[in-house]
Amino acid sequence: MLAIRTMAAAAVVMAGLGFGPAAAAERPAPETVLREWYGLVLELVRHTPTYSPPVASRAFAYLGVAAFEASVAVGEGDLVSLAGQVQALGPLPAPPPDAALDAAVVVQATVAAAARELFGNTGPTGQRALKLVEAKLAASVADGLPAATVTASTDYGRAIAAHVLAWSADDGGAVIDNMGFPADFALGDGPGRWKPTSTFDQQQRPLLPRWGENRTFAMPSGATCDLPPPPDYSDDPASRFFIEAKEVYDARVQLSDEHRAIARFWSDDPMLSPTPPGHWISIALQLLEQDGAGLDRHAEVMAKLGITLADAFIGCWHEKFRYDLVRPVTVIRRMIDPKWEPLLITPPFPEYPSGHSTQSGAAAEVLTALFGENRAFTDRTHEDDGLPARSFPSLWAAAEEAGISRLYGGIHFRAAIDLGLDQGRCIGAYAAALRTRK
Amino acid sequence: MTTMHLLRRRLPALLAALAIGVGSLISARADEGPAVPSFVDETAAAGLDSVYAGDWEYMVGGGAASFDCDDDGFPDLLLAGGEAPAKFYRNASELGGALKFEEGAASGLELDAVTGAYPLDIDGDGRMDLVLLRIGENVVMRGLGGCKFERANEAFGFDGGDGWSTALAATWEKGASWPTIAIGNYIDRSSVMPWGSCTDNWLHRPQGSGPGFAPPLALTPSYCALSMLFTDWNRSGTPALRVSNDREYYKGGQEQLWRVEPGKAPALYTEADGWRYVRIWGMGIASYDLDLDGFPEYYLTSMADNRLQKLAPVPDGAAAKPSYGDVALAKGVTAHRPYVGDDVKPSTAWHAQFEDVNNDGLVDLFVAKGNVAEMPDFAALDPNNLLLQQPDGKFVEAGDRAGVASTRIARGALLTDFNLDGRVDLVVVNRWKGAELWRNTGAGEGTGAGLLLKLAQPGPNRDAIGAFVEVRCGERVLRREITVGGGHASGHAGWWHFGLGGETEAEVRVLWPDGTAGPWHKVAAEGRFVLGRDADPMPWSPG
Repeated sequence: MLAIRTMAAAAVVMAGLGFGPAAAAERPAPETVLREWYGLVLELVRHTPTYSPPVASRAFAYLGVAAFEASVAVGEGDLVSLAGQVQALGPLPAPPPDAALDAAVVVQATVAAAARELFGNTGPTGQRALKLVEAKLAASVADGLPAATVTASTDYGRAIAAHVLAWSADDGGAVIDNMGFPADFALGDGPGRWKPTSTFDQQQRPLLPRWGENRTFAMPSGATCDLPPPPDYSDDPASRFFIEAKEVYDARVQLSDEHRAIARFWSDDPMLSPTPPGHWISIALQLLEQDGAGLDRHAEVMAKLGITLADAFIGCWHEKFRYDLVRPVTVIRRMIDPKWEPLLITPPFPEYPSGHSTQSGAAAEVLTALFGENRAFTDRTHEDDGLPARSFPSLWAAAEEAGISRLYGGIHFRAAIDLGLDQGRCIGAYAAALRTRK
Repeated sequence: MTTMHLLRRRLPALLAALAIGVGSLISARADEGPAVPSFVDETAAAGLDSVYAGDWEYMVGGGAASFDCDDDGFPDLLLAGGEAPAKFYRNASELGGALKFEEGAASGLELDAVTGAYPLDIDGDGRMDLVLLRIGENVVMRGLGGCKFERANEAFGFDGGDGWSTALAATWEKGASWPTIAIGNYIDRSSVMPWGSCTDNWLHRPQGSGPGFAPPLALTPSYCALSMLFTDWNRSGTPALRVSNDREYYKGGQEQLWRVEPGKAPALYTEADGWRYVRIWGMGIASYDLDLDGFPEYYLTSMADNRLQKLAPVPDGAAAKPSYGDVALAKGVTAHRPYVGDDVKPSTAWHAQFEDVNNDGLVDLFVAKGNVAEMPDFAALDPNNLLLQQPDGKFVEAGDRAGVASTRIARGALLTDFNLDGRVDLVVVNRWKGAELWRNTGAGEGTGAGLLLKLAQPGPNRDAIGAFVEVRCGERVLRREITVGGGHASGHAGWWHFGLGGETEAEVRVLWPDGTAGPWHKVAAEGRFVLGRDADPMPWSPG
């Protein structure tokens, strides 16, 4: 009889979630509950077509804030609420009077309710996994607790989630039609303006052209960390624009195996990876695991990181549609080589600044504040996909590599990368400055 | 001189002929667009009542098989039932008449857990056999005649395994008296979080040169195949195995093309060979030489990013490299969102098939559509597409005008001429809802004739799987590869249809699987002919 081969990685995830043969009977710690939910949502992001990087970043932000406020509510560490600090978040519901609350149950109920809503667009397998994981975790955290404690904790957790979800509803990013591609969009005139680069009909319009108008979290608005204009479009070989285009062309010709590995490692394509913001969430989870962090630390890191990633995409998209710059593949085929092909798939929206660079800069700024200037780490995010781990001397080193990966991939010009990282640093400072502890 | 060399030498002349021929065939309707055929829903009247039922494990699959099992020439029908038993229908239609099917006595094919089915005469006895793809064990059913079948796993040495099988392709490797069958498998159905759990596809090769199958080989790596097709993509005479994979579940995967050469272990074409990295929600494969350059194009169904792949130009004197560009947008076959109704969300595409539905000499494309389940990011009311080819090679949507724009959550389908009137009809299997059957009543006066051809050769591979049939019609040479596989869990055997436009006769020839090019024969349009080796086309009529 033929046997079914199952990839080892999936078995590991299942065992981690308590579905494997080695599942422990003891109640999970609240930080374990939180990590297991993040493990699932990193899969759901990958398997939910609407989750382009900006949309994914928004979901990570609200999930992080919900988990954080649940942790505040159960008195974890010396955490203080983000209400009043982030845009438009009002005071959270007070805990029920005289009720015993259990931290793991509150966290489980909060995150389950938030995940169901924020990641509810997933397909049938995702829906099935959401239900099974929620049922399993709900049962395991309740094991041995008085029924009244479970009920009160569950109700309270759901109330926290409901408050956060109500707050999310009017931020401008709650409803995504047609995977974020508008039905109508007037393309800009002139050779320097963005032109579609895909052969997909849907992508003849750019992704989420109004995303930059969304309500931000920690920074005042999408325009807060604005950028100078990119180099003026020119086909003069002596111009800065042409020189940058030639740099992308030459990089493709001279790509080393290491450059290819870097480009592929950070490619983080939607539907084929946890997306770029999910990649940084994965990095944070690896750091927290390495540190043996508890719930308060997990909640603090995931909230601040989620917030800055969401702000980064709002700020980046604000500038992308302000400058509406043409992509390298269009320019190089026009000016240098009509048959030129970039290594990576060119994303369907304007070039400047680089989204990878802005969000990586913001993530590095926040995580450096939380983990230190020279926190070396090894990133194993893509091992399941056959991409080997990469090691970095610091979080900023990783961010810079993520940025330059887009030049190797033929996706971005130098200015979009350098100034994108600058924009990320600016945006990240707002989230880093949020007060999370007394 | 090989067929390949001949093709290359004739390519410029063929291309020139294309421009001339298309103009002469279609000019009468150039201002009006393609003639739209009328499809009349005869599901109930014909006696079809079948639902592809079941929950999570039946979100994919839902195939149909058409084949003649009672030697009356009319294609009979098997529809997958999912968790319910499959349904077999004997074709009781009359020539050119209304469609009629009889559920009748048990055929033996009525197994549960069937996701799809493909007919092929495995043992070369002239009676059609079927492979039933299932959740659990796949089952080979040997045809006994009179539309009776019996399980033959043990007799044929076929290990049906225990998987979630969703794709099949078959070929006869050179020198073999027994077919090679590839079976595509999906995810590990026991897994709570099955992402990254794609299970092995299997290659069932003959034991020795046959009869009987050897223990299957695992086609690793496997990436959750939903369609497979043995196809001679480079006209080398040795088909390779195309596999379309569902990126929803694989990690590190992509579309695949396997070299399957006699006596050798299967080997993937790689980037070093020219294979381009493509990752889609691959669900179905349709192939046809649309531009008449000798090489098939491949339509790959997916979710919002359907592809029409065209082989990169082959330099003179060089071997073709498996490098394909996407021309779906250029040809108007992206079919990426509903074209009727208010739903603007992306479409979900499954079975695809090229056939000339209006007999204008230009092959058209049907795409079955339907949400996976209740995916809110995708259209809930997702009409099937019927894309009619125009003289310039671009396609135009006509599903609504033709009457097949159903939104019943389609999966598998078949364009088959059930009443042998020279017009291809349509059956569609729907998830959770009744299957649908439409009779093609034509596209009005003067829209052209249809030609039906059936291949027959002695010995194994009686139906000449792997052959190319060429039909010279005016100055054009239509060309189709005879395959078992592709589509979405749905397969056909028997008559192969060609639309001839306004021509009253055509020339036909067969490039047989062993590389022998048969002679050209003149045949009348609107005819049905059996093409045998070393014989003139034999006209066929029912009764």
